[in-house]
Amino acid sequence: MSGAVSRLSNLTSQLSGSSPRERILQKNPDDIVVTCALRSAMTKGGKGGFKDTHAADILAGVFQGIIKKSGIDPKLVDDISVGNVLAPGGGATEFRAAALVAGFPVSTAVKATNRQCSSGLQACVDIASAIAAGVIDIGIGAGVESMSNNYGPDAVSEFSELLNGVKLAKDCKVPMGVLSEQMAKDRHIARKNQDAFAAKSYQKAEAAQKAGLFDEEIWPIEVDFEDPKSGEKKRITVSKDDGIRYGMNEEALSKIRPAFAKDGSIHAGNASQISDGAAAVLLMKRSTAEKLGQKIIGKFVTASVAGVEPLLMGIGPWASIPKLFEKTGLTKDDVDIFEINEAFASQCLWCANELGLDEKKINPKGGAIAFGHPLGCTGARQVSTLLTELKRTHQKIGLTSMCIGTGMGMAALWVSED
Amino acid sequence: MLSFRTTGFNGYAVKYSPFFDNRIACAASANFGLVGNGRLYILALTPQGIVCEKFFDTQDSLFDVAFSESNANQLAVASGDGSIKLFDATLNEFPIRQWREHTREVFSLSWNLVDKSIFASSSWDGSVKIWNPTAPQSLRNIYIGSCTYSVQFQPSSPTVLSAVSSDGFMRVFDLRAPEPSAEIAKTRVSPGEVLTQDWNKYRPEVIATAGVDRAIRVWDLKMPGACQTELVGHEYAVRRVAWSPHWQDVILSASYDMSVRVWTDGSASSAVAVPGTGGRMMGVMDRHTEFVAGVDWCLFGGEGWAASTGWDEMVWVWDVGGIIGSR
Repeated sequence: MSGAVSRLSNLTSQLSGSSPRERILQKNPDDIVVTCALRSAMTKGGKGGFKDTHAADILAGVFQGIIKKSGIDPKLVDDISVGNVLAPGGGATEFRAAALVAGFPVSTAVKATNRQCSSGLQACVDIASAIAAGVIDIGIGAGVESMSNNYGPDAVSEFSELLNGVKLAKDCKVPMGVLSEQMAKDRHIARKNQDAFAAKSYQKAEAAQKAGLFDEEIWPIEVDFEDPKSGEKKRITVSKDDGIRYGMNEEALSKIRPAFAKDGSIHAGNASQISDGAAAVLLMKRSTAEKLGQKIIGKFVTASVAGVEPLLMGIGPWASIPKLFEKTGLTKDDVDIFEINEAFASQCLWCANELGLDEKKINPKGGAIAFGHPLGCTGARQVSTLLTELKRTHQKIGLTSMCIGTGMGMAALWVSED
Repeated sequence: MLSFRTTGFNGYAVKYSPFFDNRIACAASANFGLVGNGRLYILALTPQGIVCEKFFDTQDSLFDVAFSESNANQLAVASGDGSIKLFDATLNEFPIRQWREHTREVFSLSWNLVDKSIFASSSWDGSVKIWNPTAPQSLRNIYIGSCTYSVQFQPSSPTVLSAVSSDGFMRVFDLRAPEPSAEIAKTRVSPGEVLTQDWNKYRPEVIATAGVDRAIRVWDLKMPGACQTELVGHEYAVRRVAWSPHWQDVILSASYDMSVRVWTDGSASSAVAVPGTGGRMMGVMDRHTEFVAGVDWCLFGGEGWAASTGWDEMVWVWDVGGIIGSR
């Protein structure tokens, strides 16, 4: 944006917007906007629709979806950042290949990004920041994970003696389930409350799926699938989240055996599912979108990241969300929908309670407990889930957030403009 | 009431010289400061009215001006191209020094009243810089992170300064504190952008802030987080506030609502025991016909003289006493 236009928009904001909410809802030419956000279905690890599909293949499907749905000329996309956690070798090679398969020309650059469970969001933030800084004009923030293929004991490398010799450093390696169990005990998050929260996630997701609320955000992808019973190989089109168990209630959940400790409270039913999936978000400046005739569906406002103790990684949203409020001047009441990743019912519930968030505003279509948490994908997945729901309910301001393994939290603020 | 027309240039800041009782500087910009040249006016108050002694033209808009406290003829201007220029009123045309470190519009300057060898600048690039007019580079960079509309040295301290910014915060720094931050206090002073601030000349912990939400708030740094007085009345954003050098409770404010208003924060009235209850407006100066962006008090002579400037291309010099009646 030229100097004069930026000075004028600055002045305009001084004259009009008195509340932070009004200011954030303003439309300026240098806003970073979303013109397309979609995702694949989330499918069960090892069993679901993508169990025989490589991460890069799901990603290629989502890339094709972005090109088709947005109508963007692939030549105009300068860079793609793909969030991913588990791919051996970081994933950069196959993601670049996936972009070429999907129809992006060689001139479109690709990189892989890993900030554990926030990788998909980090990818979007990286692209938005690069656009704001003038490094690129148009980019895609994406995320993908095939937990069917890449999740397992090898996911964390061996620590050196040096790292193991420092308590805090060693804590980074403690498995998520174990440390969350400890946190649930320390913070007195009762199993009953966790199960109630988890049951609600299932019920909300069931209702949303039955009402077709996910249809707009899911891009159907055709893949190979081997029938586990007959061994028959066939082509299927994956267009629905297959982890959502219908008719789930608190009572059914209360019967499941704890997974990490005999007297524990965390089990398969109140933690996020192991899943496969991909998501992508097309980002550019408002001025670019208007020039290209791209339909603007939302705006990226800003993001925050916070570090916490490795063993308390579950409190990440509690640490990162207030930072976002401080930056923007908003309060929790200004936010219409919170998409907070349900890594574990325990930590999501604790963060929501501690921040005093309205239960009705959190994950209105359910969350990772009901339909899964493909690690690197989730942050990008939340954007499409959030923007479609904000649009459907004619609301404006949404926040996405998640806790991050090794003790971090991230949060980002989005505005719906449909 | 005296006036001067800055034809073709819209006023952004006006300041009285700390050395000459008849000298005023006005920083002004063509095309409302959106694009085009800037002009620094050196004005003299004479028996024949206000006379332009000299002006300096600059490539980009000018948003603020600060008189040097150590050299009677020097003054620095804040420019839209990110530069700071030092002019000498005894010379012609060109600045005697300029600094290009800020990457966006420089929006305010403040000369230290105690350590007269340094001044501070703030910029839309989200930083505050400390300068010595004889040094080619800034002495220190303080990171704010948001568009910083105003920086002000505490008038009785060689090292304490405050900055207000678009994120709604006032941050106080002490240059004696270790690098990199030097931040000693941070208070949210407004839900919206903060455009201006001024330290009280008599009470070293008292500071007033104002901005987009139209309210002027008086703070006591001994009690951070608790607004002492809120002065409400402006109909649009407040662009500049200035405490009187003579009356410890009186403050002037210039606003986009085209008025300059005179307020008391109530601290002079001994009848008021509870803070925050005695603030009130004392008068309105309504001669400007466009946004008012600059206002300053005269340090010399009879109490209560002030100058204001705005987008109506006018500098007005007027008696605040005449607006509020005799005290």
